[in-house]
Amino acid sequence: MDLYELSGGRLGVIAEEAEHHESPSSTMNRPTRDVSNFQRFSVATNESLQFQPCEGSTPSPTGADDGLDDDDVFKEGETEREIDKTRNLLQGKVAEMENFAGHLEEIFLTVEENFGRQEQNLEQHYNDVLQTLSQRYDERAATLEEEKKSKLEALYNQLLSCGQALDASKELIETAQEIYRSQDKRLFLKAVTPAIKRIEEFAKEETDLTLSTSLEFNTPPSDLSEVKTMMDSINVVPAPSAPVINPQMPNSASQTSLRVCWSLFSDDTVEYYELYYRPVLEDMPADSTCTPYVSKVKVKETHCTVTDLLPNAQYELWVTATNTTGISPASEKALYMTVPSPPTIKQRECSSCPEAAMIRWESGNANPVDSYTVELSKMGTDGTESGVTESIVAVPACQCLIQLQPGRRYLISVRAVNIGGPSDRSDVITVSTIGTFFHLLEDTAHPCLSISEDGFTMFYGDEELPISAMAFDDSTFTRCVAVLGDLIAVRCRHYWEVEVDDGTEFRIGVAFEDAERNSYLGANSSSWCMRHILTPTRHKYEFLHNGWSPDLRITVNPLRIGVALDYERGTLSFFNVDLEQHLHTFFHCHFQNYVYPCFSLDNTGALTVHNSIEAPEYAFI
Amino acid sequence: MALTQVSSNRCAGGFQKVFEHDSSELKCKMKFAIYLPPKAETDKCPVFYWLSGLTCTEQNFITKAGSQLAAAEHGIIVVAPDTSPRGCNIEGEDESWDFGTGAGFYVDATEDPWKTNYRMYSYVTEELPKLINTNFPADPDRKSISGHSMGGHGALICALKNPGKYKAVSAFAPICNPLQCPWGQKAFSGYLGSDRSTWEAYDATALASSYSGPQLDVLIDQGRDDQFLSASQLLPDNLIAVCSEKKIPVVFRLQPGYDHSYFFIYSFMNDHMKHHAKYLNA
Repeated sequence: MDLYELSGGRLGVIAEEAEHHESPSSTMNRPTRDVSNFQRFSVATNESLQFQPCEGSTPSPTGADDGLDDDDVFKEGETEREIDKTRNLLQGKVAEMENFAGHLEEIFLTVEENFGRQEQNLEQHYNDVLQTLSQRYDERAATLEEEKKSKLEALYNQLLSCGQALDASKELIETAQEIYRSQDKRLFLKAVTPAIKRIEEFAKEETDLTLSTSLEFNTPPSDLSEVKTMMDSINVVPAPSAPVINPQMPNSASQTSLRVCWSLFSDDTVEYYELYYRPVLEDMPADSTCTPYVSKVKVKETHCTVTDLLPNAQYELWVTATNTTGISPASEKALYMTVPSPPTIKQRECSSCPEAAMIRWESGNANPVDSYTVELSKMGTDGTESGVTESIVAVPACQCLIQLQPGRRYLISVRAVNIGGPSDRSDVITVSTIGTFFHLLEDTAHPCLSISEDGFTMFYGDEELPISAMAFDDSTFTRCVAVLGDLIAVRCRHYWEVEVDDGTEFRIGVAFEDAERNSYLGANSSSWCMRHILTPTRHKYEFLHNGWSPDLRITVNPLRIGVALDYERGTLSFFNVDLEQHLHTFFHCHFQNYVYPCFSLDNTGALTVHNSIEAPEYAFI
Repeated sequence: MALTQVSSNRCAGGFQKVFEHDSSELKCKMKFAIYLPPKAETDKCPVFYWLSGLTCTEQNFITKAGSQLAAAEHGIIVVAPDTSPRGCNIEGEDESWDFGTGAGFYVDATEDPWKTNYRMYSYVTEELPKLINTNFPADPDRKSISGHSMGGHGALICALKNPGKYKAVSAFAPICNPLQCPWGQKAFSGYLGSDRSTWEAYDATALASSYSGPQLDVLIDQGRDDQFLSASQLLPDNLIAVCSEKKIPVVFRLQPGYDHSYFFIYSFMNDHMKHHAKYLNA
């Protein structure tokens, strides 16, 4: 922050002007007296702050007696209002001043900081230079020293050999003299000739009298170019220091984009930034030869929105700052995450009852997300959206059991959430809490049972299915041509209706989820059902549990059967809906686990399930 | 018509009373039992008429059937008349237990010496309801009828002959087809004469085959070990067959191990009360 810049050059005058009476925006109509201290602050505001001593010129806010005319003080409204106005204005100005003072403090601190930094920089620079110079000096001195040593050695050697030569010639001369002086003629003759030869030879020798080394020292010019550049660079703008990349801000990411922000630690000059990013892959191969491709974006601002990314993916980002001098080191690497793709609600796996709804969805993302948020809004009784939305957050799995109010309709949607934020909303599903609603668990259907497109009518056709089509798995019924319904796991009252033909032999009722798939409905203790049998002479009805049924006759064949399940009372009742006639009730059913509606066809025919029907009054008397 | 209270006992939060009056239809003093539930203290209540079987009086039902708790719970008045006129001094009236005294068969007799007094049909369908509506907090528009054995027969024929008059009907081990069983043949020939065509007017099976009126919903419980069932006195299959054909809704339950006694009635009284309450309190 450049102080100069901030003030715009206007922070010039902080002066005490002693007798300045003119106050451009004074709202006080009192006569001014003895204005001694007048200070004007004009940073970005045009208002001036005027201080005036209080004695006598203003009524005190507490209304204390200050010597003014009583009548004046108690003049209604007018005076008080003025006082209030003035007081508010004063308070405002005081606040402004405080703000400004705070601002100034900040500026001073920053300037200090900056200066401190510059000082440090400079010190360091010069230290570097000095260090370099002394290094050079040492080097140079060492070289000279060595040279000196070698020259001296050479000279000394030369001296030695000269000395030797001297000694040799001396010896020769002495020998010659001896021979000359010898009395023995015979010895003289013997020795003289070799001696003469030697002397002749010696005389022929040339003595080298040149110095083996030069007396001059080799002084190459010093290479101080480095030092020069260092000195020069002191005054040059340094390369920027590494920027600081911000952690991801909440709600700044979208499914395919990330908004990245960073800041400069110092007041470096920067021409542009370069943001690098690459996806963080789950399984990085051991060798770093195939690292993911690093992308680069060049921006001038300190933020950037990176697009074309994958949803629910983690990215590694770092940024460098560049100016004329060079590129800063890279910032720390930050990890950002894009928001997930929205989930898809699995309509066929949702169920509801007057008190609650079970919503299931597909994540919509290949990788796991942190959690899900379920949003619901209740529709008004006149069919309009009431606009009230409730959110259930931190749902860990891809399903949620939501408490609702009976007799209403709700719009429900889901979002996937990760560190980056929530995804877009999934498609909305409408849930009605009128009556109980469920789909059939088609996975449990016997292969011979085919189910209509809308999922609520089942057929037992008379075509023979090839053996290959009889594919069974753990959950399908294998003997009884049956299917279960996905009733919501809530222990309240449930009601649904079943529509059949006169000639359809069927079994309808409820069963535990673990009812044996290779036995018939009603044959054991894990299911209760109403059974219709067609004999040649008449219609027969049974109400089966544990293989036992009461003996009864029904004279009007029910074509639309109401089934009422009451967990609390442990009862399961059947009604002829068209006649509102009660047919039979199983009492004392021990529903220790949740039960599921079950349907089977014992001969060719069809059966339709009707849902979302409010239970008639007689169903739960 | 002046009513004299014969007895009153607090029961199930209400009152079990017995009254006596001079009957204009039966030309003698008649008693009837009436249970007033707690709700009757403040509101008009619907009325459940119970017709007892052979040899019974107004006492059997109120002491043995265990109806008061359910009646109290559902807020229903229960009226149980006697099964025939008493003390008329008609010759032969006490000769058999299944004809004459205690065996009125809920018909209006046309033969002498029975035709003056033995008018139980009119008594039950006309005189008694008027009496009840006048003297008790009864809702005149909501009544239902039930009974056991001969009374079951009585309940069925009252409902079939008066479409819309009774909101609900049920029976315990009723005589379904008197035309075809010894009891019925004996009683009808005595009360109605030898022309069998006149008997059809009081035969539930015959009436069902010609019934037209608002939909009925009949609940019938029958003990499987009932000696009279095996003696072919009751013949429920005939009624069921006709109702199946004519689409009259009946749920007929054969209860294993149960006989013809009040122990049987007691065991399923609550179910019948619930059945009646569904329609009386709707």
